[in-house]
Amino acid sequence: MSEKAEFQPRIAAFLCNWCSYGAADLAGVSRLQYPPNIHVIRIPCTGRMSPKFILQAFRQGIDGVWVSG
Amino acid sequence: MQDIQGEEGDFTVKVVSHPRYVDMDKCIACGACAEKCPKRVASEYNAGLNKRKAAYVQYAQAVPLKYAIDAPNCLYFLKGKCKACQKFCPTGAVNYEQQELTRDIKVGSVIISAGFKPFDPSRYVQYSYANFPNVVTALEFERILAASGPWMGHLVRPSDEAEPKKIAWIQCVGSRDVNACDHPYCSAVCCMYAIKESVIAKEHSKAGLDAAIFFMDMRTFGKDFERYYDHAKEEGVRFIRSRIHSISERANKSLAIEYATEDGQAMVEDFDLVVLSQGLETSPQTIELCQKLGIELNDSSFINTSCFAPVATSRPGVYVCGALAGPKDIPLSVMEASAAACAAAGKLSSARGTLAKEQEVPPQRNVAGDTPRIGVFVCSCGINIAGVVDVQAVAEYARSLPYVAYVENNLFTCSQDTQDKMTAVIEEQNLNRVVVAACTPRTHEPLFQETLVSAGLNRYLFDMANIRNQNSWVHAGEPEAATEKAKDLVRMAVAKAALLQPLSEVQLEVEPSAMVIGGGVAGMNAALELASQGYKTHLVERDSALGGNARLLRVTAQNDQVAPYLADLEARLQAEPNIALHLGTTIKDVEGFVGNFKTTLAGEGGEEVVEHGAAIIATGAAEYKPSEYLYGQNPKVMTHLEMDGALQSGELDPKKVNSLVLIQCVGSREPERPYCSKVCCTHSVETALHFKKDNPDCQVVILYRDIRTFGRRELLYKEARGKGVLFVRFDLDHKPKVEASGQGLTVTVRDHVLGRDLLIEADLVGLASAIVSHRAQDLAQMFKVPLDADGWFLEAHQKLRPVDFATDGVFMAGLAHYPKPLEEAVAQAQAAVARAVTVLSAKKMMLPGTVAWIDQSKCVGCGVCWTVCPYQAITADDKGLALVNEALCKGCGTCVASCRSGAPNLRGFTNQDVMAQIMAM
Repeated sequence: MSEKAEFQPRIAAFLCNWCSYGAADLAGVSRLQYPPNIHVIRIPCTGRMSPKFILQAFRQGIDGVWVSG
Repeated sequence: MQDIQGEEGDFTVKVVSHPRYVDMDKCIACGACAEKCPKRVASEYNAGLNKRKAAYVQYAQAVPLKYAIDAPNCLYFLKGKCKACQKFCPTGAVNYEQQELTRDIKVGSVIISAGFKPFDPSRYVQYSYANFPNVVTALEFERILAASGPWMGHLVRPSDEAEPKKIAWIQCVGSRDVNACDHPYCSAVCCMYAIKESVIAKEHSKAGLDAAIFFMDMRTFGKDFERYYDHAKEEGVRFIRSRIHSISERANKSLAIEYATEDGQAMVEDFDLVVLSQGLETSPQTIELCQKLGIELNDSSFINTSCFAPVATSRPGVYVCGALAGPKDIPLSVMEASAAACAAAGKLSSARGTLAKEQEVPPQRNVAGDTPRIGVFVCSCGINIAGVVDVQAVAEYARSLPYVAYVENNLFTCSQDTQDKMTAVIEEQNLNRVVVAACTPRTHEPLFQETLVSAGLNRYLFDMANIRNQNSWVHAGEPEAATEKAKDLVRMAVAKAALLQPLSEVQLEVEPSAMVIGGGVAGMNAALELASQGYKTHLVERDSALGGNARLLRVTAQNDQVAPYLADLEARLQAEPNIALHLGTTIKDVEGFVGNFKTTLAGEGGEEVVEHGAAIIATGAAEYKPSEYLYGQNPKVMTHLEMDGALQSGELDPKKVNSLVLIQCVGSREPERPYCSKVCCTHSVETALHFKKDNPDCQVVILYRDIRTFGRRELLYKEARGKGVLFVRFDLDHKPKVEASGQGLTVTVRDHVLGRDLLIEADLVGLASAIVSHRAQDLAQMFKVPLDADGWFLEAHQKLRPVDFATDGVFMAGLAHYPKPLEEAVAQAQAAVARAVTVLSAKKMMLPGTVAWIDQSKCVGCGVCWTVCPYQAITADDKGLALVNEALCKGCGTCVASCRSGAPNLRGFTNQDVMAQIMAM
């Protein structure tokens, strides 16, 4: 990420394979544009989402975590 | 489809494939053709509200996702020049020389599901749909609300793209009308979609929306529909019982609706936008096709079906499903689709599997304990990825990652030649893990996994980095950032891949027999259909006789006698060698899972254990025994099923009744039972007609809240009014009173037009009492399936899987699911059979390897995991420790997230796998 005066958060997104991950794919098919500072991890269900993943993400210096499903 | 020749079991169907001028094998759906195409055409998908190109894909979710060229609008076809799409297509898929292809296909059965056409309201002069831009159809409004619509889901009106503050819906446009159009039927779906649109519009509105629905009768008769109606009222949607006079336009393009209220007052109200709830009709092309094929239509131009064979057309071997057989919603259409599949396959069951071929796979290489050697394949996807992302830089970067042994960049990684090459590379380079950085695993993971299998690797030694759909396509303007992100995504995938382990897929034998629980109309039909598909079937009925509630039912909505039909069903059951009948028998215990159930039956002769591969729950429902309206105290007050029974036995003679009052919604649509029982309005109208036929002088009054004669049942309602049956509406706050007076009864009701009490002297009062569930908790628990708040069995998905449970191998049919008329119970039984046969016909099942497992050395037996497991796949073993049943596990991982001691883990998505991805982020 390039140095900018403005704060650019790094966001980790944990997306359910069956809905939100599919929606993220569809955003691509529809060529919707969004900033690149969001990285997606595919999980089989939001039920898989362990609090440890969120803590680990923050420990890695991630600024925000988005869980969607 | 042009024509069907031949007969049942041996049809020849003539099919014309229109050229799409795009080679489906080459098209990668990159969209370059549409981007470069200069010709703009009104978009059918968005109901003409915006434009698409002449090179196009109909909608983003289209399956298969392949583009097409609309020749009648294409400049090259019209004027002989342009060819922009061909020039810019990266794979050379555009082919203007494609020709129409006519084929003859040999089949044994045919299913027609040509659907409906939304009614065009232009012909209503009073609504001025064609003249006022802010009068839209409901389908146009669907597109306005849709995220993939012309305004991306922002609530706007067409004239000025401003957000409307007030929206009106007008019901019954092209339905229940013989004046402006010849559509006496009710379209059955419009009340619900109007409520849905009003609720969603309120959600989309930024400034707060005033939503009003102008209606005659609110027909929310489906499962959970009445609750949704109540919810909409709570959300502030206004429901105005009225008749519309006209719509006129103000200078600011807003609209004034003139209408008459129920008590006859003329009113005017202004709205920013008016939505016409258009009905359903059959298109002229479909009517023509049906006539050509010799398939009988009814006088409403829907395919004629009988209540006893709801998906069979008049031509043997040709079946129908969906709105072409009468207006219906998605759950019922999906259910009928399975029913038609059952009917179509029934007589062809001897040919099942005869065209199937076995795939040959090489033996799997054992890589356990080997140091990971990861191959990374970075796809350019033509210019789809490479046009934004520097794929060479990503490939170079991948070489620097730990355990990566081989990297290459491909123009199209998914193409057949690259796949062949990948198979060779895996062998040559001795790779034991593969990462593909390309489009998305949701479409391409299975393809690449097959390539691994053909190279002798376990399919689970694979991961994908999504650098197209979730990178190059969405960061097109930021190539440098997109390249960096692609590197990140490859690094994350490689980190996970290094940890991947080969997973085994358990193979299960399937016991090719079924159990049907409940011997009513649904259960009997299910058993007969299963037997005709060639499967041994156990039909279990707790009563000593078959037939269930239908034993009391007099006629269907098409006025067919039910008793002879039941007798015929029973005779066929008795004669069917594939059916084992267990009368007077209940279910005591159920063990096992899909393909391998072991059920203990308890009957008069003791207990018996039966093995079966699938189960259909068709346990029915009961009639509500009222506590109101003097029921049980006065013999002249009967429920409608009791009245049916008395009419059939001759105890009740319409000729001896001078005044009959029928009261609707007895126990339904009440706070303690907030659902509509769906069948009662039609049933009362039928009873009224029966009395009027036998005794035209008999006064028949129906006291109702909304008349819900959906579909062609509306014709019965119209006939009843024509024959002089009186309909008086009441509301929940002013319920009728029934009092004994002398020899008869006096019914008092507040008339909705006069606003005054009416006193009706009655010889007989019929109560349209609710259908109530058995709330079969025990059975539900034994089969590990849920009940809803009203005690109905809860399907896996109301629209997409209407007869399935979330638990595999268990299905449902009939009243156990929700109140429904006989023809829907029959169709649902057929649907459940079609779904059960998908299990029974498999012989063997492969269970996916991505399931949970428990490290019992860490398990303390606290029970959190088996409490949270949505599939009830975890049980306690004899030591009290958790154990996963792999046949039931769906791999959601909820157990893993819930455990405090870290005992469960999910294969393919282990804690270590996900942590590795996070740490590599």
